[in-house]
Amino acid sequence: MARVYNWQIGRDMSYWYPESRPEKQFAAVFDINKCIACQSCTLACKTTWTSGKGQEYQLWNNVESKPYGFYPLRWDLKLLDMLGEQQWDGDQYRGQTIFEAAEAGERVLGWRPEERDFAYPNVGEDDCAGTIETGADFQIPHLAWFFYLARICNHCTYPACLASCPRGSIYKRPEDGIVLVDQQRCRGYRECVKACPYKKVFHNPLVGTSEKCIACFPKGENGLQPQCFVNCIGKIRMAGSISRPEDAKPENPIDYLVHIRKVALPLFPQLGLEANVYYIPPIHAPTPFLYQMFGPGVAAAIKTYRSAVDDMDLAGLLTLFGSSERVMPRWKREGDWTIGLDEQDQEIVRVPLKEPVYLRGPFDEKYQVARTNCP
Amino acid sequence: MAKKLWHLILVVVPVLTLVGCRPAPPVARLMDVTMVIADVLPEDPSDGVWQHAPEFTTPLLPQDQVEPRQLEVSTREIRVRAVAAGDHVAFRLEWDDPTLDDQPGHEDFPDACAIQLPAIAEPTLPAPQMGESGQPVEITFWTAAWQATVDGRGTTLRDLYPGATIDHYPHEAAPLKSDPIAQREVQLRYSPAHALGNWMAGPRERSVEDLISEGPGTLGPGPSADSQGRGQHNGDGWSVVISRRLPAGWDSARGSQIAFAVWQGDRNEVGARKMRTGWINLVQEP
Repeated sequence: MARVYNWQIGRDMSYWYPESRPEKQFAAVFDINKCIACQSCTLACKTTWTSGKGQEYQLWNNVESKPYGFYPLRWDLKLLDMLGEQQWDGDQYRGQTIFEAAEAGERVLGWRPEERDFAYPNVGEDDCAGTIETGADFQIPHLAWFFYLARICNHCTYPACLASCPRGSIYKRPEDGIVLVDQQRCRGYRECVKACPYKKVFHNPLVGTSEKCIACFPKGENGLQPQCFVNCIGKIRMAGSISRPEDAKPENPIDYLVHIRKVALPLFPQLGLEANVYYIPPIHAPTPFLYQMFGPGVAAAIKTYRSAVDDMDLAGLLTLFGSSERVMPRWKREGDWTIGLDEQDQEIVRVPLKEPVYLRGPFDEKYQVARTNCP
Repeated sequence: MAKKLWHLILVVVPVLTLVGCRPAPPVARLMDVTMVIADVLPEDPSDGVWQHAPEFTTPLLPQDQVEPRQLEVSTREIRVRAVAAGDHVAFRLEWDDPTLDDQPGHEDFPDACAIQLPAIAEPTLPAPQMGESGQPVEITFWTAAWQATVDGRGTTLRDLYPGATIDHYPHEAAPLKSDPIAQREVQLRYSPAHALGNWMAGPRERSVEDLISEGPGTLGPGPSADSQGRGQHNGDGWSVVISRRLPAGWDSARGSQIAFAVWQGDRNEVGARKMRTGWINLVQEP
């Protein structure tokens, strides 16, 4: 094993291959607070990529309710149990990653779901964390909670699927860091299915190979965001690229949210993959639960997000989410407007921080007609 | 003189006694896989010609050289017979495995076996573990899943999961039904492995695949694709016939080497997780 640096856990760690970062790294920010689990993203992906034979059960994109929703069943809990104690010391992770905890003869600590684990993608949907007693709805904060977690492949800097494949059939594109299964080379050993802690590699039993999210790279190559991003009616997602922390650029929207404002966090950073989908954590869920899920930066992230109402830059950037199909590698704010820019600083889209407000009375004087049927 | 005679008696009698009491010597185990010559290669595992070929039995070792390693012994030994005809040879591999695993489902791994020969029969041998750079090995790989397909199992989801309900596939859309080319094009959009000609994706006309390798992790399509295979499960284990051409440079006087591997599906054995042998002499009957 090689020694590599993982900034998400603040230390060097063991990995199967030496550190080799792409020229650009595909990355995304999902604002969990805005997700309504409409599954438009899931359908957009399903229609585009996984409507073939043997792909019936595959959801490269899924949205599950937390804490009781899973796809596949218990995907996160099972591995967290296997991994043992996951202790953080400030921003540095003191426990073992799944590469460091690999058992003898294995490349990665992992487990392979059973077929039935994929059979109930909606199990736990909208189940909240506890029973709701009479009068609980008058109690603030609410004691019963849940939130929606939209998930795609994290196109990790240190992919466990890639590390686990004994044939080298999985590769990370040097130009954008997207992780792909070589469909010509794969022989369906399913080591990747076992190794991916996020369970985002799927075996196609009719084809005999494993398949996964491709971050809609044909769209990305044309400067467009993936299907699950542009079909999100809640506008919770933004795709782009991320720099290393020391190279963070404030004009890069992903860098700004992840590195500079630290309002978006990776999913289960303690696993050691340096996942590249970042989540703005839900502000109403208990911090200890979120700490386990998003790491030690979660309390500060929530505090920053809450301050967005008085923070024109942060609020402004969040308005750019879902405002264009095009990838916006740069952004700026001018007064009450946020502007998405291309690499040459040409304007892609301009979004107001505040929508104009129009007040309409119950009676339309011009047409002499009531606008409502009640006074 | 009498003293010497007593000495002779004291030595000879115990020796004779020991000889008389010792167990019968074990049946000599063949040290080589010995090919017998026939006019036609047997295709069926139950073909009577196999009875004329000597049975070679060899223990199997766990693949513990590269990760992921096989750390537990599963299939303990394999029994092999070989029949040659012209420049082709057929091997019958038999091993104990009471569970028949031929499903290609998400968590199902099929039973399988493989033979490995040097790509060129020459005195300098490639590494027994999948060959080495510059010294390739040729591998013929058989799986029970492909055998089931060749034997008639369908290739739809309902063939694997009879209770499954499928609403619709895009390539089955009504406007495409009169245009097979367009239908095929839409089908391939959702199956890149098919589009790229990956053998794993089929279509399946043989239960074996010809492969070449220059070391662990380098397995790829072989230069020829004319091997044949047929496997039968008798409730206690598998009997599989694999036939292929002899390696380039084959010299019947010199022979060559062969190695075997077996995978048990119910033990999740796949890829590097296998039981295997090192090189074994492959000779032709005198």
